[in-house]
Amino acid sequence: MVDIEALKSKYLNLVFDRRDFTVQAENSATVARISGETRPEYIDPAHAAFEVFPAYIASLSSGRHLPIDFPALGGLPVDGGKAVTSLQPVPAGVPLNGRTHLHDIYDKSGRSGRMVFLISRMEIYDAAEKLLALADSRMVIRERSES
Amino acid sequence: MSIQSITDIEFGMELGPYLPDTALPNSAAVADAVGWGNAARFTNHERSRKEGLPGALVPGILGMGFLCALIHREIPAARIQKVDCVFRAPLIADQPCAVTAIVTDIDTTAGTAELDLLIRNETNETRVVGTATIRMPK
Repeated sequence: MVDIEALKSKYLNLVFDRRDFTVQAENSATVARISGETRPEYIDPAHAAFEVFPAYIASLSSGRHLPIDFPALGGLPVDGGKAVTSLQPVPAGVPLNGRTHLHDIYDKSGRSGRMVFLISRMEIYDAAEKLLALADSRMVIRERSES
Repeated sequence: MSIQSITDIEFGMELGPYLPDTALPNSAAVADAVGWGNAARFTNHERSRKEGLPGALVPGILGMGFLCALIHREIPAARIQKVDCVFRAPLIADQPCAVTAIVTDIDTTAGTAELDLLIRNETNETRVVGTATIRMPK
Protein backbone atom coordinates (compact mmCIF):
# COMPACT_ATOMS: atom_id res chain seq x y z
CA MET A 1 0.00 0.00 0.00
CA VAL A 2 1.49 3.29 -1.06
CA ASP A 3 2.42 5.76 1.68
CA ILE A 4 0.31 8.87 1.07
CA GLU A 5 2.41 11.03 3.39
CA ALA A 6 5.57 10.04 1.52
CA LEU A 7 3.93 10.96 -1.79
CA LYS A 8 2.89 14.31 -0.37
CA SER A 9 6.40 15.02 0.90
CA LYS A 10 7.96 14.21 -2.43
CA TYR A 11 5.49 15.65 -4.92
CA LEU A 12 3.21 18.36 -3.51
CA ASN A 13 3.59 21.93 -4.74
CA LEU A 14 6.37 21.25 -7.22
CA VAL A 15 5.63 22.59 -10.70
CA PHE A 16 5.98 19.68 -13.11
CA ASP A 17 4.48 21.15 -16.25
CA ARG A 18 4.58 24.59 -17.86
CA ARG A 19 2.98 25.52 -21.11
CA ASP A 20 2.15 28.61 -23.11
CA PHE A 21 -1.19 28.87 -24.83
CA THR A 22 -3.76 31.27 -26.18
CA VAL A 23 -7.49 30.70 -25.79
CA GLN A 24 -9.43 31.22 -29.00
CA ALA A 25 -12.49 33.28 -28.10
CA GLU A 26 -14.82 31.35 -30.40
CA ASN A 27 -13.91 28.03 -28.78
CA SER A 28 -14.75 29.34 -25.31
CA ALA A 29 -17.93 30.96 -26.62
CA THR A 30 -18.96 27.64 -28.19
CA VAL A 31 -18.70 25.86 -24.84
CA ALA A 32 -20.62 28.68 -23.16
CA ARG A 33 -23.42 28.75 -25.73
CA ILE A 34 -23.87 24.98 -25.65
CA SER A 35 -23.96 25.12 -21.85
CA GLY A 36 -26.92 27.45 -22.13
CA GLU A 37 -25.00 30.45 -20.87
CA THR A 38 -26.80 33.76 -21.40
CA ARG A 39 -24.27 36.39 -20.33
CA PRO A 40 -22.90 38.22 -23.39
CA GLU A 41 -19.39 38.50 -21.99
CA TYR A 42 -19.13 34.71 -22.26
CA ILE A 43 -21.03 34.00 -25.47
CA ASP A 44 -20.16 36.96 -27.70
CA PRO A 45 -16.48 37.15 -28.69
CA ALA A 46 -17.08 40.70 -29.93
CA HIS A 47 -18.26 41.87 -26.51
CA ALA A 48 -15.94 44.52 -25.04
CA ALA A 49 -15.66 42.60 -21.75
CA PHE A 50 -15.45 39.13 -23.28
CA GLU A 51 -13.75 36.61 -21.02
CA VAL A 52 -13.12 32.89 -21.03
CA PHE A 53 -16.02 30.80 -19.68
CA PRO A 54 -15.23 29.00 -16.40
CA ALA A 55 -16.00 25.56 -17.83
CA TYR A 56 -13.57 26.21 -20.67
CA ILE A 57 -10.92 27.16 -18.11
CA ALA A 58 -11.50 23.74 -16.53
CA SER A 59 -10.56 22.09 -19.82
CA LEU A 60 -7.14 23.74 -19.75
CA SER A 61 -6.01 21.48 -16.93
CA SER A 62 -6.51 18.39 -19.06
CA GLY A 63 -3.47 16.58 -20.34
CA ARG A 64 -0.52 15.43 -18.28
CA HIS A 65 -1.79 15.47 -14.72
CA LEU A 66 1.10 13.82 -12.90
CA PRO A 67 4.85 14.27 -12.61
CA ILE A 68 6.68 12.01 -15.00
CA ASP A 69 8.22 9.95 -12.19
CA PHE A 70 5.01 9.60 -10.18
CA PRO A 71 4.56 5.96 -9.18
CA ALA A 72 1.87 3.79 -10.72
CA LEU A 73 -0.83 3.17 -8.12
CA GLY A 74 -3.11 0.80 -9.96
CA GLY A 75 -5.59 1.39 -12.74
CA LEU A 76 -5.86 4.40 -14.96
CA PRO A 77 -6.84 7.63 -13.25
CA VAL A 78 -10.54 8.48 -13.60
CA ASP A 79 -11.68 12.07 -13.96
CA GLY A 80 -13.28 12.63 -10.58
CA GLY A 81 -14.07 16.29 -10.97
CA LYS A 82 -12.84 19.75 -11.75
CA ALA A 83 -12.80 23.11 -10.06
CA VAL A 84 -12.12 26.61 -11.27
CA THR A 85 -11.26 29.60 -9.12
CA SER A 86 -11.55 32.90 -10.90
CA LEU A 87 -9.26 35.57 -9.53
CA GLN A 88 -9.38 37.90 -12.53
CA PRO A 89 -11.20 37.68 -15.86
CA VAL A 90 -9.24 35.40 -18.21
CA PRO A 91 -8.94 37.11 -21.59
CA ALA A 92 -9.00 35.32 -24.93
CA GLY A 93 -6.56 35.94 -27.74
CA VAL A 94 -3.58 36.83 -25.56
CA PRO A 95 -0.59 34.75 -24.45
CA LEU A 96 -1.16 32.85 -21.21
CA ASN A 97 1.06 30.54 -19.23
CA GLY A 98 -0.14 27.52 -17.27
CA ARG A 99 1.94 26.00 -14.47
CA THR A 100 0.79 22.74 -12.98
CA HIS A 101 1.60 21.18 -9.64
CA LEU A 102 0.10 18.52 -7.43
CA HIS A 103 -1.98 20.45 -4.93
CA ASP A 104 -3.26 17.63 -2.72
CA ILE A 105 -3.12 13.88 -2.30
CA TYR A 106 -5.49 11.97 -0.01
CA ASP A 107 -7.16 8.60 0.24
CA LYS A 108 -10.51 7.13 1.20
CA SER A 109 -11.12 3.51 2.04
CA GLY A 110 -14.33 1.65 1.42
CA ARG A 111 -15.67 -1.84 0.93
CA SER A 112 -14.08 -2.09 -2.49
CA GLY A 113 -10.65 -1.02 -1.27
CA ARG A 114 -8.72 2.19 -1.13
CA MET A 115 -9.14 5.06 -3.54
CA VAL A 116 -6.38 7.61 -3.95
CA PHE A 117 -7.35 11.15 -4.90
CA LEU A 118 -4.87 13.40 -6.65
CA ILE A 119 -5.59 17.08 -7.16
CA SER A 120 -3.48 18.71 -9.85
CA ARG A 121 -3.70 22.48 -10.06
CA MET A 122 -2.88 24.64 -13.03
CA GLU A 123 -2.15 28.26 -12.19
CA ILE A 124 -2.91 30.49 -15.15
CA TYR A 125 -0.86 33.65 -15.55
CA ASP A 126 -0.93 36.43 -18.10
CA ALA A 127 2.16 37.91 -19.77
CA ALA A 128 2.55 40.36 -16.88
CA GLU A 129 2.77 37.43 -14.44
CA LYS A 130 -0.59 38.25 -12.92
CA LEU A 131 -2.32 35.15 -11.57
CA LEU A 132 -5.73 35.00 -13.24
CA ALA A 133 -7.27 31.66 -12.35
CA LEU A 134 -6.76 28.24 -10.84
CA ALA A 135 -7.93 25.11 -12.64
CA ASP A 136 -8.02 21.98 -10.50
CA SER A 137 -8.38 18.48 -11.84
CA ARG A 138 -9.36 15.71 -9.42
CA MET A 139 -8.11 12.26 -10.41
CA VAL A 140 -9.28 9.13 -8.67
CA ILE A 141 -7.26 5.92 -8.74
CA ARG A 142 -8.49 2.64 -7.34
CA GLU A 143 -5.41 1.19 -5.70
CA ARG A 144 -4.38 -2.19 -7.04
CA SER A 145 -4.77 -4.97 -4.49
CA GLU A 146 -1.49 -6.54 -3.33
CA SER A 147 -3.11 -9.95 -2.77
CA MET B 1 -38.05 38.92 -7.73
CA SER B 2 -35.07 40.34 -9.54
CA ILE B 3 -31.86 39.55 -7.69
CA GLN B 4 -29.61 42.57 -7.87
CA SER B 5 -27.50 42.48 -4.72
CA ILE B 6 -26.32 40.20 -1.95
CA THR B 7 -29.24 41.33 0.22
CA ASP B 8 -31.65 39.86 -2.33
CA ILE B 9 -30.15 36.39 -1.82
CA GLU B 10 -31.93 34.26 0.76
CA PHE B 11 -30.66 31.25 2.66
CA GLY B 12 -32.24 28.11 1.21
CA MET B 13 -33.20 29.82 -2.03
CA GLU B 14 -33.47 27.26 -4.81
CA LEU B 15 -32.33 27.77 -8.38
CA GLY B 16 -33.67 25.77 -11.28
CA PRO B 17 -34.45 23.28 -12.46
CA TYR B 18 -32.63 24.16 -15.66
CA LEU B 19 -33.06 21.51 -18.33
CA PRO B 20 -30.03 21.77 -20.63
CA ASP B 21 -29.74 20.37 -24.12
CA THR B 22 -27.69 17.16 -23.86
CA ALA B 23 -27.91 16.29 -27.56
CA LEU B 24 -25.00 14.23 -28.84
CA PRO B 25 -23.85 16.86 -31.37
CA ASN B 26 -23.41 19.28 -28.47
CA SER B 27 -21.08 16.90 -26.66
CA ALA B 28 -19.12 16.45 -29.87
CA ALA B 29 -18.93 20.19 -30.46
CA VAL B 30 -17.65 20.84 -26.94
CA ALA B 31 -15.05 18.08 -27.25
CA ASP B 32 -13.92 19.63 -30.51
CA ALA B 33 -13.84 23.17 -29.08
CA VAL B 34 -11.55 22.16 -26.22
CA GLY B 35 -9.23 20.18 -28.47
CA TRP B 36 -10.27 16.64 -27.64
CA GLY B 37 -11.02 15.94 -31.28
CA ASN B 38 -13.62 13.42 -32.26
CA ALA B 39 -13.11 10.93 -29.44
CA ALA B 40 -15.80 8.26 -29.74
CA ARG B 41 -16.79 8.64 -26.12
CA PHE B 42 -18.22 12.07 -26.92
CA THR B 43 -19.41 11.52 -30.47
CA ASN B 44 -20.82 8.04 -30.96
CA HIS B 45 -23.10 5.95 -28.74
CA GLU B 46 -22.39 2.62 -30.40
CA ARG B 47 -18.61 2.97 -30.37
CA SER B 48 -18.77 4.19 -26.77
CA ARG B 49 -20.67 1.07 -25.76
CA LYS B 50 -18.01 -1.05 -27.45
CA GLU B 51 -15.50 0.73 -25.19
CA GLY B 52 -17.53 -0.38 -22.18
CA LEU B 53 -19.31 2.89 -21.54
CA PRO B 54 -23.08 3.15 -21.12
CA GLY B 55 -23.22 5.46 -24.14
CA ALA B 56 -21.58 8.60 -25.44
CA LEU B 57 -20.79 10.92 -22.57
CA VAL B 58 -21.55 14.53 -21.90
CA PRO B 59 -18.06 15.92 -21.21
CA GLY B 60 -17.53 16.74 -17.56
CA ILE B 61 -16.70 20.32 -18.40
CA LEU B 62 -20.06 20.65 -20.14
CA GLY B 63 -21.72 19.53 -16.91
CA MET B 64 -19.79 22.31 -15.20
CA GLY B 65 -20.98 24.63 -17.95
CA PHE B 66 -24.60 23.69 -17.24
CA LEU B 67 -24.06 24.60 -13.57
CA CYS B 68 -22.48 27.95 -14.42
CA ALA B 69 -25.29 28.69 -16.87
CA LEU B 70 -27.92 27.97 -14.23
CA ILE B 71 -26.30 30.45 -11.84
CA HIS B 72 -26.03 33.19 -14.45
CA ARG B 73 -29.55 32.57 -15.77
CA GLU B 74 -31.15 32.95 -12.38
CA ILE B 75 -28.76 35.46 -10.80
CA PRO B 76 -27.42 37.56 -13.69
CA ALA B 77 -25.59 39.89 -11.30
CA ALA B 78 -23.55 37.01 -9.86
CA ARG B 79 -19.88 36.58 -10.61
CA ILE B 80 -18.69 33.02 -10.07
CA GLN B 81 -15.58 33.11 -7.89
CA LYS B 82 -15.25 29.37 -7.61
CA VAL B 83 -17.07 26.38 -9.00
CA ASP B 84 -16.16 22.85 -7.92
CA CYS B 85 -17.74 19.76 -9.48
CA VAL B 86 -17.51 16.12 -8.46
CA PHE B 87 -18.29 13.72 -11.30
CA ARG B 88 -20.07 10.95 -9.41
CA ALA B 89 -21.34 9.15 -12.48
CA PRO B 90 -21.39 9.88 -16.19
CA LEU B 91 -23.97 12.09 -17.83
CA ILE B 92 -25.08 10.36 -21.02
CA ALA B 93 -25.68 12.33 -24.20
CA ASP B 94 -29.27 12.47 -25.46
CA GLN B 95 -30.59 11.70 -21.99
CA PRO B 96 -32.40 14.51 -20.18
CA CYS B 97 -31.02 15.92 -16.97
CA ALA B 98 -32.03 18.58 -14.49
CA VAL B 99 -29.70 21.14 -12.99
CA THR B 100 -30.51 22.70 -9.63
CA ALA B 101 -28.82 24.67 -6.88
CA ILE B 102 -29.58 25.84 -3.38
CA VAL B 103 -28.07 28.69 -1.38
CA THR B 104 -26.31 27.31 1.69
CA ASP B 105 -24.49 30.31 3.12
CA ILE B 106 -24.47 34.07 2.74
CA ASP B 107 -21.82 36.58 3.79
CA THR B 108 -23.33 40.01 3.38
CA THR B 109 -20.13 41.70 4.56
CA ALA B 110 -18.03 40.04 1.89
CA GLY B 111 -20.85 40.10 -0.65
CA THR B 112 -20.58 36.38 -1.31
CA ALA B 113 -22.89 33.38 -1.20
CA GLU B 114 -22.29 29.63 -1.27
CA LEU B 115 -24.38 27.26 -3.32
CA ASP B 116 -24.73 23.51 -3.47
CA LEU B 117 -25.08 22.29 -7.05
CA LEU B 118 -26.68 19.17 -8.44
CA ILE B 119 -27.28 17.45 -11.75
CA ARG B 120 -29.71 14.54 -11.81
CA ASN B 121 -30.70 12.36 -14.72
CA GLU B 122 -34.24 11.47 -15.78
CA THR B 123 -34.48 8.68 -13.18
CA ASN B 124 -33.50 11.16 -10.48
CA GLU B 125 -30.04 9.66 -10.00
CA THR B 126 -27.35 12.09 -8.93
CA ARG B 127 -24.66 12.38 -11.60
CA VAL B 128 -22.76 15.55 -10.67
CA VAL B 129 -22.57 17.40 -7.36
CA GLY B 130 -20.72 20.57 -6.67
CA THR B 131 -20.40 23.84 -4.87
CA ALA B 132 -19.99 27.40 -6.01
CA THR B 133 -19.04 30.68 -4.45
CA ILE B 134 -20.58 33.71 -6.08
CA ARG B 135 -19.83 37.36 -5.54
CA MET B 136 -22.68 39.87 -5.67
CA PRO B 137 -22.92 43.65 -5.57
CA LYS B 138 -23.50 44.81 -1.99
